[in-house]
Amino acid sequence: MRNSVNRPPTPDAVEHQEKEPTLQEIINIKLIESGEKERLMELLRERLVECGWKDDMKALCRAFVKKKGRSNVTVDDLVHVITPKGRASIPDSVKAELLQRIRAFLVQAAI
Amino acid sequence: MASNLNQHHHHHHHPRINGQISPPPCPHLADFLSRNGSKPFLALQDCLRSKPPGGRAAIRRDPSEVPRCVSCGDSSRPRLYACVACAAVSCHAAPSPSSSHAAAHAASYPGHEIAVDVDRAELFCCACRDQVYDRDFDAAVVLFLSTSSTTSSSSLVPASKPENLRKRRRVDYCPWSPDIQERILVGNGSSRLDCESDQKPWGLRGLNNLGNTCFMSSVLQALLHTPPLRNYFLSDRHNRYYCQQKNAKNDNNNARLCLACDMDAMFSAVFSVGHAPYSPAKFLYSWWQYSANWASYDQQDAHEFFISMLDGIHEKVAEKDRCKSHSQGHGDCCIAHRVFSGILRSDVMCMACGFTSTTYDPCVDISLDLEPHQGVSGKAGPAKNHHSCNGNTDSKSSSESCGISSLIGCLDRFTRPERLGADQKFFCQQCQVRQESLKQMSIRKLPLVSCFHIKRFEHSPIRKMSRKVDRYLQFPFSLDMTPYLSSSILRGRFGNRIFPFDGDDADGSNEMSSEFELFAVVTHTGKLDCGHYVTYLRLSNQWYKCDDSWITQVNENTVRAAQGYMMFYVQKMLYYKVSEKQVS
Ligand SMILES: [Zn+2]
Ligand SMILES: [Zn+2]
Ligand SMILES: [Zn+2]
Ligand SMILES: [Zn+2]
Ligand SMILES: [Zn+2]
Ligand SMILES: [Zn+2]
Repeated sequence: MRNSVNRPPTPDAVEHQEKEPTLQEIINIKLIESGEKERLMELLRERLVECGWKDDMKALCRAFVKKKGRSNVTVDDLVHVITPKGRASIPDSVKAELLQRIRAFLVQAAI
Repeated sequence: MASNLNQHHHHHHHPRINGQISPPPCPHLADFLSRNGSKPFLALQDCLRSKPPGGRAAIRRDPSEVPRCVSCGDSSRPRLYACVACAAVSCHAAPSPSSSHAAAHAASYPGHEIAVDVDRAELFCCACRDQVYDRDFDAAVVLFLSTSSTTSSSSLVPASKPENLRKRRRVDYCPWSPDIQERILVGNGSSRLDCESDQKPWGLRGLNNLGNTCFMSSVLQALLHTPPLRNYFLSDRHNRYYCQQKNAKNDNNNARLCLACDMDAMFSAVFSVGHAPYSPAKFLYSWWQYSANWASYDQQDAHEFFISMLDGIHEKVAEKDRCKSHSQGHGDCCIAHRVFSGILRSDVMCMACGFTSTTYDPCVDISLDLEPHQGVSGKAGPAKNHHSCNGNTDSKSSSESCGISSLIGCLDRFTRPERLGADQKFFCQQCQVRQESLKQMSIRKLPLVSCFHIKRFEHSPIRKMSRKVDRYLQFPFSLDMTPYLSSSILRGRFGNRIFPFDGDDADGSNEMSSEFELFAVVTHTGKLDCGHYVTYLRLSNQWYKCDDSWITQVNENTVRAAQGYMMFYVQKMLYYKVSEKQVS
């Protein structure tokens, strides 16, 4: 990847990067750099399996693929159809636990 | 591995994903490969990272890189893709083309359609908006995740894989199909089912209690109606007259003792006309003789009896058939193991470096701990309890409030990665010191019949005390074992990859054979010492209660409410064959 050919002209949008980062950006970067984001993701995955959310989503995906036909569905179709349902059905307890963890991280990271 | 990475011709061979034939590559990937080969994918190898060690694969140019979209500068978008042709990172969202800088990038630069998901290390075509697969790339990711050292047992072709397992794969279970003569015999035999005047299924009869022998009868009832075992004996594959005659020749004192012969006699008697209870006295006598020199055996335990009985059949039959090895790992050594033997896989991963050591062990059943008491803390709560709660996943504590243990929950816990404490450090070959580790069990090979043993009896050898745990455990009538297979567990760890994981069958028959149907439940009621064993049998989709010599038809709710001690599940394919009444 480093020694790739055909690098296209640098998009002008790169300037965006120079602008003042938002608080959300800063938090996100801190989370990534500290490895906390990966831990949170792992926790989230675990919780979503435990509460059956993953199975429910799997069932929705299967149903959708069955309806559309196996070769007529792309990953994006699935993401588009399932995401709203998925977001809506995450248990509040899981959201609360994650928020709690992020708060604790912010306090400790003194942001 | 190097040779593997160069097999470009594979791309056109419609490779399989998860055992299923994958569609040919999209035109963009095909075009990309024809112009560049797999070189750009191989270059990505240097960018593979996993954080923490043993974690998921990600793509980063340097370990501390925070990837962000070159167009909008956003680093928090859930989907970021790095173009395989030019390394530009772009964000992507599903619905409209305008919300995807990755799609815009692909549209403005022909040949830049293929990208890699930076957080999943999976390939994506930004024009087709679909996942694509490349064998070499996937091989590189799996190799990277398996271990950073090439000397270890790779998770794909474990170096530690015992010789007998390799043999085992070549001689997989092949179903017996009757020739014409046998078919006539089978036909004659099954007509009996049709001409039964009462509705009792063939072979269903009580077993007389010979004095505290319900622990034995309960297991025998399950075995008598274990489809592949029953088919074996009823098709005369172990003929007791022939076996004894053969034994008489080798004048070995012990030779006359053959538990399979006694099984043969019992099958003949039980599956003959009539429904009068049968007395397994001869069998009890033989088994008692066999187990007399078996010191650590617990007289009253149905599970101990089950294990010792399978051992007994194995020992005698394998010995007579001059099986080279006595090990049950083959699965082909004797009828007991051909029916009940599966293979467990255990991975122990070093938490410091990610090095994984894999071992395989044959097993005839799976012993499961009852889940610890729940409802106190959601954190320790078991998985997927919503199965039992009518799927109200939104409510905060669906799993806590109903708090019912389930077989599914036990299996989830059985296959969940478990952190081994500081007191059980394992010696990591790569670090060359003892390290903390993560252990995960999975099922490499499912047996034809899966027996689950619930550890209801807690023995404490130190205090010379035992106690029984009376707790309800929910068990399903139909069970899909797919999530517990090594292939599924590895897929969870490695992501979506193109080639088969451990245990994935090339013909995709795995999916079929991982569906099981419950056909027998051995239950225990009462106290540890003065308890009673009863078996529920499911024959032609009707449940029967076998309580020593008494057989009664029962409602399935009675079975669901029973306190299961051993559950017997048979592969669905075999179950339906037995339950279908022959239509002539
Ligand atoms: Zn963007
Ligand atoms: Zn590009
Ligand atoms: Zn494409
Ligand atoms: Zn014999
Ligand atoms: Zn055997
Ligand atoms: Zn290590």
